[in-house]
Amino acid sequence: MPHSEHFSKQYDSDLEDVRSRVLQMGGVVEAQILAAIECFSSGDTERMTEVTDTELRVNAYEVDIDDLCVHIVARRQPAARDLRLIMGVSKAVTDLERMGDEAEKITRMARLIHERKGPQIPLQAEVRRSGDLAVAQLRHALDAMARLDPDEAERIISEDALIDTEFRGILRQLITFMMEDPRTISTALEIIWVAKAIERIGDHAKNIAEQVIYIVRGTDVRHTGKERRHGVADEEH
Amino acid sequence: MSSAWPSLLLRLALIASLALIAGALLGSLAAWATACAALLVLLVSHTAYLARLQRWLKQPESQAIPDAWGAWGNVFMTLYRHLRNEDKRRESIAADLEVFSQAAEASPDGLVFLDANERIRWCNRVAESQLGLDGERDRDLLVTNLIRAPHFAEFLAGARVGESLLYRPANRKGMTLSLEAIRFGKDRKLLISFDVSQIERADTIRKDFVANVSHELRTPLTVIAGFVEHMIEEPSPDAEETQHQLGIVNDQASRMLRLVDDLLTLSRLEGETQLPREEAFDVRDLIYEISSEARRLSGGRHTITCEVVPAMLKGSRDELHSAFSNLVSNAVRYTPEGGRIVLRWAVQDGKGSFSVEDSGIGIAEEHVPRLSERFYRVDRSRSRESGGTGLGLSIVRHVLLRHQADLQIRSAPGVGSTFSAEFPAWRVTTPLT
Repeated sequence: MPHSEHFSKQYDSDLEDVRSRVLQMGGVVEAQILAAIECFSSGDTERMTEVTDTELRVNAYEVDIDDLCVHIVARRQPAARDLRLIMGVSKAVTDLERMGDEAEKITRMARLIHERKGPQIPLQAEVRRSGDLAVAQLRHALDAMARLDPDEAERIISEDALIDTEFRGILRQLITFMMEDPRTISTALEIIWVAKAIERIGDHAKNIAEQVIYIVRGTDVRHTGKERRHGVADEEH
Repeated sequence: MSSAWPSLLLRLALIASLALIAGALLGSLAAWATACAALLVLLVSHTAYLARLQRWLKQPESQAIPDAWGAWGNVFMTLYRHLRNEDKRRESIAADLEVFSQAAEASPDGLVFLDANERIRWCNRVAESQLGLDGERDRDLLVTNLIRAPHFAEFLAGARVGESLLYRPANRKGMTLSLEAIRFGKDRKLLISFDVSQIERADTIRKDFVANVSHELRTPLTVIAGFVEHMIEEPSPDAEETQHQLGIVNDQASRMLRLVDDLLTLSRLEGETQLPREEAFDVRDLIYEISSEARRLSGGRHTITCEVVPAMLKGSRDELHSAFSNLVSNAVRYTPEGGRIVLRWAVQDGKGSFSVEDSGIGIAEEHVPRLSERFYRVDRSRSRESGGTGLGLSIVRHVLLRHQADLQIRSAPGVGSTFSAEFPAWRVTTPLT
């Protein structure tokens, strides 16, 4: 969506390019997280290496996009919305890269859980559900970024609480398992890592949504309540 | 143009003759004055028409075209005709476009038109629902920003003929799409999405079936081969042990036989194009027969009772015998010792229903819809040790399907299950009592 006409067509296409690369990166991370959750529920070791391999691709994307951002800032000295786009995008990239790390953490834990003999904890379905929620949050955040839709972004921010509730629910159930049978403790601790990683993925998705609001409205909604999200954006239009 | 000059000449001639008359009557000064005045009138009237034309051209609508006479009338008339033709052409183009977009809308596949930069120009409703797009809102957005599956961007950039990409939209669980990109016009692309979920599912079922059959046949065969090999290489002097081993071999062989029998039954039922034999038989007899078979299978470990009303059922007795006894033997297998099993035949509103109720281990809700899939097992080790082939309920479902009957399953884990087969009224006759 060309939101402004610059004298240089090249500038416009550079900005567009940065955004679409971030979204491509987001797609890769999304697939990676899905694969990680699949690993956790099925113990499929082949997919585990797939997740680790994707990590390299994600890192390459991060370096590449950061480089592009620096170039645009240096050569074009963007202002107003363009500057916000560059800033927002480079923060979103960091979030995406962290999500990739969390996905890797999930597969690492999945391997430990599935290689251990001993009592299993039947919480696969719960973890899966919260994982699906987190992936949906990420997908919606990326959609909001693609459409530059701050309303959708707001909805994502308010739905983050759902994942937190799921996380607390899993924690509660794990405690009961650990109390019943101490042999489950090491597995339970690993499941906590997985659940925590999923919860972090949800938080990162929320950060991306906040960047969308910042890009479009020019308000920084991090660490603020709902009322400040409606912005002061239009001064430069 | 052709009519403008003669009309001007006519007017000039008129003015000249007026001037001549005035000159003849009142002298040369009057002639000049008359000519000047008449020319002025002509000029003013032309300018007035010109002004009207200019005013009208700002909003050229065929209805509001100014009236005029003479050369100007011709001009306006021609303009009007021209405009009306234009309107007609536009209407017919709009109608064509409408037909075209209706056709695209009617397509069972998703269609997305992309411009040279891969921005979305238009998409039909199928594409909207399959790909999670919105034709209005997402117009002019880069399609790769919205469909972010890894490799999609490269696939679209390549857009090679005959190449397709499998895509599982995350917002539609269990759906698999096959995407194809086609170049057309100048650098434009058409993205087509087909729903291949069914095909893929059927493929998975087929693969699973082959894998399962092989596995199910292999397991008893391994046991048999193992014991036979042992007996050949190290014949045991102990006759009792040999006897025991032969017993196991016999068990496994009969299990294989059962499995092959079931497979044959199933494939016969599936391949059967003929309708089942329609004979009216006494349901009570059939159920008593099955219950005595069940008692033999149970060996006194369960209480098996029958609650039946007299009725005749139309259909193939042999097929229904195999279906009903499958249901009953399942109940016997999955009910712990001391449990009770009730075989029931009831007629309500003319419809007959055969049901088997047990106080067995029950089935968790998530398994119920998949029970009649071949080799679907809630608990693998358990069902094999109890001697099931994994095909029983598939056979039941097929037989019932051939008799237009419904299989209904109600179950609660730990409480028990009820499997019932409901027959349409026309298959059931109750004797007048």
